[in-house]
Amino acid sequence: MSAWEALRERFDLPEEPSAEEPPVIDVSRHVEMAAALKEFGFTMYVTVCATHFPEEAPKAKKGEDPPPPIPEHWEVATVLRRPGARSETFAWRVSVERPVVPTLFPLFAGADWQEREQYDLVGVIFEGHPDLRRLMMPEDWDGHPLRKDYAIDTRVHPWR
Amino acid sequence: MAVDEGSRNYEHPAYDYMERMPGLSLAMTTVDKVLEWSATNSLWIFPMATSCCAIEFISSAAARVDIDQIGSVVRPTPRHCDVMIVAGTITVKMAPRVKKLWEQMPEPKWCIAMGSCAISGDFYRDIYSVVPGIDTVVPVDVYIPGCPPNADQVLHGLERLQAMIRSDRAGGGMPREERPETAKMINPENRRVGDPERDPSLTDAQHDASRNLGVGANSDRTRDARPIGDIAEDEAADVRGSVDDLEEGA
Repeated sequence: MSAWEALRERFDLPEEPSAEEPPVIDVSRHVEMAAALKEFGFTMYVTVCATHFPEEAPKAKKGEDPPPPIPEHWEVATVLRRPGARSETFAWRVSVERPVVPTLFPLFAGADWQEREQYDLVGVIFEGHPDLRRLMMPEDWDGHPLRKDYAIDTRVHPWR
Repeated sequence: MAVDEGSRNYEHPAYDYMERMPGLSLAMTTVDKVLEWSATNSLWIFPMATSCCAIEFISSAAARVDIDQIGSVVRPTPRHCDVMIVAGTITVKMAPRVKKLWEQMPEPKWCIAMGSCAISGDFYRDIYSVVPGIDTVVPVDVYIPGCPPNADQVLHGLERLQAMIRSDRAGGGMPREERPETAKMINPENRRVGDPERDPSLTDAQHDASRNLGVGANSDRTRDARPIGDIAEDEAADVRGSVDDLEEGA
């Protein structure tokens, strides 16, 4: 039985897994999801990828009312791998309106630097992470450069 | 004294000894020649190599081009070296480290910017994390354009530097190459070190940033024997003086 079949009812996943669009689950079940997968043999923390979506007002179609604006939100996608024979990966997303997501560090030690990198570049705070410092940018850097509202010509002291 | 000491811009302990010995001062011109020959033919290179230009730089030390033929060997420590070759993109996080290593090199020292990234940042120059040209951090004497430059262009750059050092020793002052023309930049106000229009506070801020990297001995170290800020002022004065001369002549 694949992991998808085993977890489909418990986490209310769609019928078929999609490689393009990992399922979105509620942030309150984020750690539960990771723990269940780890029990299932997904012991390798592959990656975490956070994305910033700024507030967006979709265009109205002809003769229709404009759809409601999409508020600013962050998506955090996590990928786990089951190593060994018949290796497979499992990815899921959580979508949050505040950039705060519980950490997976107690489950996977490999999440340490990966989460620090996402905090550094996108500014997602991994709640409970023991050492959430900047990883790549200089220690005194202002802002998180992979946010969509980070201006490219932000003048940063003293080199830019 | 047969030699005009005022025009001498190079210090060497041998001079002090020879000035005390009667008759030997006449030989100082010969010593100058010897020192010039030894300085230009032993340009030891500190490779500040961060990316793909480093690979091309390695091949310039290999058999086909062989920069050993002009006495340039590569040493992995700044304290033995005369020339820093910046080969590759320098990020904002790396820049204070480059500055720190540059300050550890003994005088006299020169800097070569190798490749588009070191010269202007090239296509990374408008990215938030990239320094728009290493000449905004350390003074650059020779620019080797290319992406990456050929190995023989590196040799040519070293030969240009030799010619400049010979001109310096002859009392002509140290010439510096012009930064090659670059396309429009978002932040053109980041002038190179020595540019009269450069904001002096930028230099101070960069010095502070590089000094504050470490603790203890490094945090309170003084500046170079030739402070970069003073060089900028001297050059600015030269430019102003030459403009005045032109106006008077007209």
